[in-house]
Amino acid sequence: MTVVVAAAEVVLVAIVVHGVATTSAVGGGPLPMHYVEQANWIPAIGASYHVGVDGVSAWILALNAGVFLLGALVVPRLTTERIKLFCGLMLLAEAATTGVLISLDLLLFYLFWEGMLIPLYFLLAFYGNENRGRATLKFVIYTVAGSLLMLLAILYLHFQALAGGHNTFDLEVLLQSPLPAQAGVALPFTTIQTLSPAMFAFLAFALAFAIKLPIVPFHTWLPDLYESAPTPTLVFFAGVVSKMGAYGFIRFGITLFSGPVHQLQPLLVALAILSILYGAMMALSQTDLKRIVAYASISHLGFIALGIFSLNQNGIDGAVIQILNHGIIIAGLFLVVGVVEARTGTRDIRELGGLQKRMPWLYVFFLVITLGALGLPGTNGFVGEVTIMLGAFQYFWLPAVLAGLGVLIASWYMLRMHQGMMHGPVRAVTEKVQDLRFREGLVLAPLAVLIILLGVYPHPVGSVAAQAVPGYVRLADTSQQPVVMPTSAHIATLTEVER
Amino acid sequence: MNALAALPLATATPGWHDLVGLLPEVIVAGGFLALMLLDLVVPPARRTWLAVFSGAVLVGALAVSVWGWYDAGSAGRSVFFGAFAYDRLAEFGNCVILVTSLLTVVISPGYLDRRRLHHGEYYSLVMAATVGMMLLAGATSLMVIFLAIELLSISLYILSGFSRQEERSQEAAVKYLLLGSFASAFLLFGMALVYGETGHTQLAQIAEAMSRSLPVDPLLVGGIILMFVGLAFKVSAAPFHAWTPDVYQGAPTSVTTFMSVATKVAAFIVIIRLFDDAFASYYSHWSAVVITVAILSMVVGNFAALTQNSIKRMLAYSGIAQAGYILIGVAVGVGTALGVQGALYYLAAYAFTNLGAFAVVTVMSGRGEDLDRYDQLRGLWHRRPYVAAALAFFLLSLAGFPFTAGFMGKFLVFAAAIQAHNVALALWGIGTSAVSVFYYLRVTLIMFQRPKEDAPAYEWPRTGRAGSAVLLVTAAGTLVLGIFVGLVLTVATMAQAGTLPGR
Repeated sequence: MTVVVAAAEVVLVAIVVHGVATTSAVGGGPLPMHYVEQANWIPAIGASYHVGVDGVSAWILALNAGVFLLGALVVPRLTTERIKLFCGLMLLAEAATTGVLISLDLLLFYLFWEGMLIPLYFLLAFYGNENRGRATLKFVIYTVAGSLLMLLAILYLHFQALAGGHNTFDLEVLLQSPLPAQAGVALPFTTIQTLSPAMFAFLAFALAFAIKLPIVPFHTWLPDLYESAPTPTLVFFAGVVSKMGAYGFIRFGITLFSGPVHQLQPLLVALAILSILYGAMMALSQTDLKRIVAYASISHLGFIALGIFSLNQNGIDGAVIQILNHGIIIAGLFLVVGVVEARTGTRDIRELGGLQKRMPWLYVFFLVITLGALGLPGTNGFVGEVTIMLGAFQYFWLPAVLAGLGVLIASWYMLRMHQGMMHGPVRAVTEKVQDLRFREGLVLAPLAVLIILLGVYPHPVGSVAAQAVPGYVRLADTSQQPVVMPTSAHIATLTEVER
Repeated sequence: MNALAALPLATATPGWHDLVGLLPEVIVAGGFLALMLLDLVVPPARRTWLAVFSGAVLVGALAVSVWGWYDAGSAGRSVFFGAFAYDRLAEFGNCVILVTSLLTVVISPGYLDRRRLHHGEYYSLVMAATVGMMLLAGATSLMVIFLAIELLSISLYILSGFSRQEERSQEAAVKYLLLGSFASAFLLFGMALVYGETGHTQLAQIAEAMSRSLPVDPLLVGGIILMFVGLAFKVSAAPFHAWTPDVYQGAPTSVTTFMSVATKVAAFIVIIRLFDDAFASYYSHWSAVVITVAILSMVVGNFAALTQNSIKRMLAYSGIAQAGYILIGVAVGVGTALGVQGALYYLAAYAFTNLGAFAVVTVMSGRGEDLDRYDQLRGLWHRRPYVAAALAFFLLSLAGFPFTAGFMGKFLVFAAAIQAHNVALALWGIGTSAVSVFYYLRVTLIMFQRPKEDAPAYEWPRTGRAGSAVLLVTAAGTLVLGIFVGLVLTVATMAQAGTLPGR
């Protein structure tokens, strides 16, 4: 049943993606959209039901639908009890993530963003190992704290627009009414001239997205949670939910707050690099398979963040492509770990070995996924990472070099993981394991095919993204914004700072 | 010129015209008297009939209140020489209070039977308290305010001690009585000061005298603040909250269900009427006090709830915190209409959500002692999945997750705070909300754990038809208020617009 619903969703999304790729966008706003729907919701405060899809969200939607379908397929094999409830909650989560991806009204977006937590909370709290309660609470409180601040910033934007005569939460209208250059407080020892209300609003949004993504140092909920959650949950959690942060940065962060983003760009890029290197180093030092994948995930998400914060065509293109790629790769990795754990009863890399001889099919699929994860040319990981590094290089040479270092370490920890599991002598726990069953192969095969297909022929993804990304780049570029005359109070503060 | 001469209609007699404005109150008061007589003739085994009768009276009053909403019109009118308001704010309060009483009466018989507390006076007292609350919602004279508060308080003092065999219940009643009388004294002293400085008891004339006494009359400020202290006690706002956890825990759970919601609604309606309307010209003098109390309530309520191991005490502290959030709306309500609208919305949302949460505890309390400790909830999900899901939903709403009533309530008051340029107040609210997630979710986690050794920690009774119906209604209300926001927000806006005495 769930599989049918999830499959139907995949078909619908496929139609949408096809539509986005073949038709031209409507709307004269700064971000042209497809399939726009708009209806009144809370007229008193100007919130509306306004949804639409563009080249950035189309493929993420496809990823969303596909990964949830995968999750639905593996549920019966990898969870044992209360499957109906699990499936119901999973579909609720899918509804919420879909809502996040299509909302063009800030209040509606927030509702889905925060509402996503309810099914996720129950999924994480009901299913998983004995540490799940603590890990789940940590995750929920982290994210709630972040997103409540975002709510505050959304309200700030609303009342700014209200002051300008628009009673609205609508993204398109808000994008056209630039934030006033209000006076703020000078931040000592930095290039940041003022801590204006707009800056605070951006920081609130950025915190919510950075926690969800997560960017180091807001990542501490992730390894514990990934370790305690069961595989089907992980497939869509790591595959889709963590991408919502990246999507949020692209759709809302860099477009609504071009000024603050540019002021903070060095810091944001530095944090992205920190995520890449820290995640990679941590992945290198773990022995638990799930923790290796968890930290690898942090490192890969750092790449996506780096692409976004490059604030240019290549970077954001690469980020969109990499969101899709990483979703495919991480889902595959967690599936492999889940299968191995179910067969051998352990996730400790030191106890595993020799699976190559016992599970040849798994070996093949896992090899492809590993190569994708370490970004070998010919796989999709390479396409995304190279595009992102191009973008980063356009910004400044150093981040690109450091990101390259991250790729280097990635091949180290991925091969260490691969060899630890697959090669070497057959151990006690791997003595009598069965190879993949047909259904498991059916789940892994499309992932492996996609990894190679998108590595060789990335054009469909790239072209759809490329038609929408220029709009975002233009919005993020402060030099093309309408010039806002500074108020006299602002000038007074600035002169005072200079003194 | 003495004070009496200032009353234009002092010599006239009240007519039917005036009585229409009090019709719902009259109906419930009639029900209260009839119940006392009925109790004498209804056999003890058939006391459920009393519940049915009270329910019918409350439904009748509810219907009249809804009719009154339209009859009063957007402007409303003052009845009984300015002592009482027949306006939409009052009818809004009436409706919420009556729904609360009705749902309480529906879940009571089963609970009282199990606890062997099924006496006829229970229903009379609930009706008396309801009359007091409804009068309070419409009161526009200091005397009526005081009488209404005393009527509802005295009924609730008795109800808190309704379990005569139980020491905790007796302790709760005495504590409530002592501290409540103390608060009433504050209220009365504040009223005396206000009367002494303005020479009036009617809010309309007080407001007028107040605007003439500007720039500032220190005794008047003192009176206003003392009145706020008395009312803050009734809504259990910190630092006047000390009674709340003990009374909520000690009182029979069905009584707690009733008073945790209805009292707060009535007292907040009168707070809104007084502070955001009659005393609006003294805004700059009382706002700091209200803001401080709001912040203290949010901080004290949420942080104290963290360490609780009793669900009733946790909900008591949560109620203190919720009072703080509603006070945000009150504190900024003079400057922005959204403040009062948000507070009213929050009240409706809180009524359904909190009533639902306490109703679960009531419905799941078996013979012997009340369901109270957290570990008595362990495994509820496995035995009573619908009840556990309902409680989880109410707790999520109290925590303010989207698609629930609690979210929209919080959203609107935070929005009002930001519109009033009081970002700090919204930040306090947001910070403490994040803290609150922890203790609400902790309870849900316990419910979903497996029971130990297959023996449930507590003998949960069957839910029963009445209990299921109440849980269904409250859950549906919580969901509707979370999604179809326009509906109730329009009602709240209309209620706010026509507030008497009108500034």
